[in-house]
Amino acid sequence: MVEESKSSVPIRFDDEAWEALAATTNANRCFQCGTCTAACPLADSTPMRVRALIRRAQFGETDPLIWKCMTCAECNASCPRGVDIVGLVRHLRQEKWRTREVPKGLPTLLWGIYSDGNTFHLPPKDRAAWMKDVKVPGRGSTLLYVGCTASYDPRAQRTARSVAKLLNLAGVEFQVMGTDEVCCGEAARSVGNVGLYDDLQQRNSDAFRKRGVERVITISPHSFDALKVGQSKYGGPQVVHYTQALEELVDSGKVVGTVEKRTVTYHDPCYLGRHQGVFEPPRRLLELSGLTLVEMANNRAQSLCCGGGGGRMWMETDPLERPGSRRVSEAAGTGADLLATACPYCISVFESERGSEVIPVTDVAELVASGAKG
Amino acid sequence: MRIVVCMKVVPRPEEVKVNLETKTLDRAGARSVLNSADMNALETALAFRDAHGGTVAVLSMGPPQFEPYLRVALAVGADEAILLSDRAFGGADTLATSYTLATALPKIGGADLVVCGEESSDGGTSQVPPSIAEWLDASQATYVERIVAGKDGTTVLATRALEDGKETVELVLPAVISVVVGSNEPRFIDYDRWAFAQSAKVKVLDFAALGGDPQYLGLQGSPTRVAGLREVRKPGRRRELVTVTADEAAFRIKAEIERVGRVRS
Amino acid sequence: MIDVREGGIWVYAERRGDSFLPVSLELMGKAREIADRLGVELTALTVGRDGGAGAQLRRYGPDHVLELAHPLLTTYDAKAYATAISAELRRSKPSTLLLGATRNGQDLAGRLAIRMRTGLTAHVTALELDDRQNLIGWVPGFGGGIEAGVSCPVRRPQMVTVKPGVFPLPESGTPTGDVTKVVPELSEKDVGSRRISFEPKGSTVDLTRAGVIVVGGRGTGGDFTRIERLAHLLGGEVGATRVATDAGWVERDRMIGQTGVITHPELALVFGASGAVQFTVGIEGANTVIAVNRDPAAPIFDHADLGIVGDLGPVVDSLLRALAA
Repeated sequence: MVEESKSSVPIRFDDEAWEALAATTNANRCFQCGTCTAACPLADSTPMRVRALIRRAQFGETDPLIWKCMTCAECNASCPRGVDIVGLVRHLRQEKWRTREVPKGLPTLLWGIYSDGNTFHLPPKDRAAWMKDVKVPGRGSTLLYVGCTASYDPRAQRTARSVAKLLNLAGVEFQVMGTDEVCCGEAARSVGNVGLYDDLQQRNSDAFRKRGVERVITISPHSFDALKVGQSKYGGPQVVHYTQALEELVDSGKVVGTVEKRTVTYHDPCYLGRHQGVFEPPRRLLELSGLTLVEMANNRAQSLCCGGGGGRMWMETDPLERPGSRRVSEAAGTGADLLATACPYCISVFESERGSEVIPVTDVAELVASGAKG
Repeated sequence: MRIVVCMKVVPRPEEVKVNLETKTLDRAGARSVLNSADMNALETALAFRDAHGGTVAVLSMGPPQFEPYLRVALAVGADEAILLSDRAFGGADTLATSYTLATALPKIGGADLVVCGEESSDGGTSQVPPSIAEWLDASQATYVERIVAGKDGTTVLATRALEDGKETVELVLPAVISVVVGSNEPRFIDYDRWAFAQSAKVKVLDFAALGGDPQYLGLQGSPTRVAGLREVRKPGRRRELVTVTADEAAFRIKAEIERVGRVRS
Repeated sequence: MIDVREGGIWVYAERRGDSFLPVSLELMGKAREIADRLGVELTALTVGRDGGAGAQLRRYGPDHVLELAHPLLTTYDAKAYATAISAELRRSKPSTLLLGATRNGQDLAGRLAIRMRTGLTAHVTALELDDRQNLIGWVPGFGGGIEAGVSCPVRRPQMVTVKPGVFPLPESGTPTGDVTKVVPELSEKDVGSRRISFEPKGSTVDLTRAGVIVVGGRGTGGDFTRIERLAHLLGGEVGATRVATDAGWVERDRMIGQTGVITHPELALVFGASGAVQFTVGIEGANTVIAVNRDPAAPIFDHADLGIVGDLGPVVDSLLRALAA
């Protein structure tokens, strides 16, 4: 019996699809050098080959491995031709929503975001539960945007409380949206659903305007990136990450304090570092608090992704393919007492990779708050 | 094949309270959602339509402010939406509700297949689907997990999830089915359909348009009465924390197991 | 005013092959009690291809057993069953019809109530009589957060479906009552569906429907033998956290949480899980959660009704002994 060869299918260029892609991502500038493949943290553990993924897109094909991408942007940073490969991956995922070929569980995630306003399928009425005993002035044009993870995940709630505590110590007037806050949309964008992302940007824009918000401080780098990019088209408020806001406060002497003398290594979250270029504020915060910073070999723009971005928080990853454990080992290898980072996803991933058994994992705001005085 | 999906807009269960003085439900402050099982019903209908052709209409009963929820169903993939809205329909129990829905069907173009969710999160009776079937003199299958088309288009094969196994029945059309909650993953909103969904006309039928026998409508037509209400919701987890010996711990856990066993369904 | 004493009480006894479901017998016990209180007769009604099986029901105190037997009633079909039963209800005019709130019981009751143009109270967890001798059935609604007492004061028969396990299973006693077999008038057009296959509940894991789930996490250290024994003893399923499935201690389809299964059991026993939110969202819908963990600061205790601080090994061993006793 002769098996029909699959390669007999003629190769066709899908010009229309390719042009749509190229218009937003510069994909037509790709000359297939493969630097992206070499930079991709998944290249060692999975069959993911970014160069091939781009090539297949040119033929109108979508590499099924797009769903493994963590949108960490190592490829973007390495590309000599300025191709927005992360944008390309998001675009290809968006097409898969059209044809309803998305991984199981993602529609449920989006329904939860659409109707509950959060990524956990938890009741909107519990969104302010993170506050516990924290008092918020509830005035002023500055908004602390807490985000889904820091609102509902008990681990990340501690970060939100620490940031609120520091803002209070510095006498900053700020408000929170409490149970009215909804998802920033980053999760929707990361899995390629631009429709829901736009919808949430609109809802947030309306809420910001209604509340007279001029400055948004986010807990999560993912909210930071999504709101900064998304709100710009509405001429919306200034959006900063909490490490930036706190750096100003510590710098201007509004918050002082030192923590126990220890060494710390800092992990750059992809969306704070590579995506938004915020590398120094968290480091300065740690040093101003009296900690001694030791760097991992892969730091700043070369930081290794924890594995939680690009919607991977809502898809199961084979233990052998998870980059998080590698990163924890690297952190432990510095000999530092602590691993600090500034992203709830990174902390969650490191914790679930049993990071704290190797090196205690903590958040920059929590460290600063532990020794701070007004 | 014309498929009609019955969908209900329900208050978020955790936000409904009992007014202990008046012994009535206070759902004014509660946000609403499309009933979860009805989303599985819609997915069942859309998947069947995608495979075999036809149209899918969504049908609901409630005040005019439910209209945006039906537009969500349109954005998901339904072809048309109908809302039955009249003060006269208010206070309906399952008999009156099923009568109203069944009476509407011939007025909206009829249905070969009516698809409902297994039950609503508020009333939770699961009685409306078989009741609609009876009013229509149609065949029925409840607690359905999966449907496939029959051979000649006059039947469907429905697989029901029963306590002791899965039963597949051949159903003569027209038929009413109810779909098990969680039996599929409802597709998400298709934002390419958003403009259509927002501009489409949602057909609103009132009592006059519906006709029907007033003795089966609304509160008047409902043979059951709510004689009392009580709140049994726990105020979150009890969060009792004890440090005891293993034997004492076992004793405490066993007591909890027995308590749960007594109320177990 | 209609008085419940004007007619007898009927119980629909649901057959599974040649025997009856426990819930039907539970209803016989309760119905006997109500019938005695009101001084009315109790009739057990059963439907199937042949008569004969109904004689077993005589051991549960009926005044009458009525068997509806017809070849078209061989397998359950709502339309055919409702047609056969409604004819008898019209003939004998009982005041009350009780059914078990099983899936087929619910399927039948919803149809029959409309055929009789009467009220139906479904999924009842408690039953009372009001001062006019109407039945009040208490039913959970709004995700179980609120219970409503529902009655049907103006139509008869008043119909109620009762959840399994609400009433105790009565002892079988000396046979009472007479057995009547009736062959209802039915034709093919009265049948709406035909069973073409049946696949008995197999070994496939389905945590979403489990009533009891025993969960093991990192704290088990990989030893799930106790967890499995406990789950078996409680008639429940084994669940696991991501750490446990990652390590291969338990198969992947038992993983509970955001990227696993979202469960709604009556009882979840959680051993050695720290309580990351990605896990706890999977047990949020549990009615009762009991957690055992060595660390008193473990977040799992915020999600538990009862939290026990301690080593899970000795606790589970004691519990297994206590349950076996």
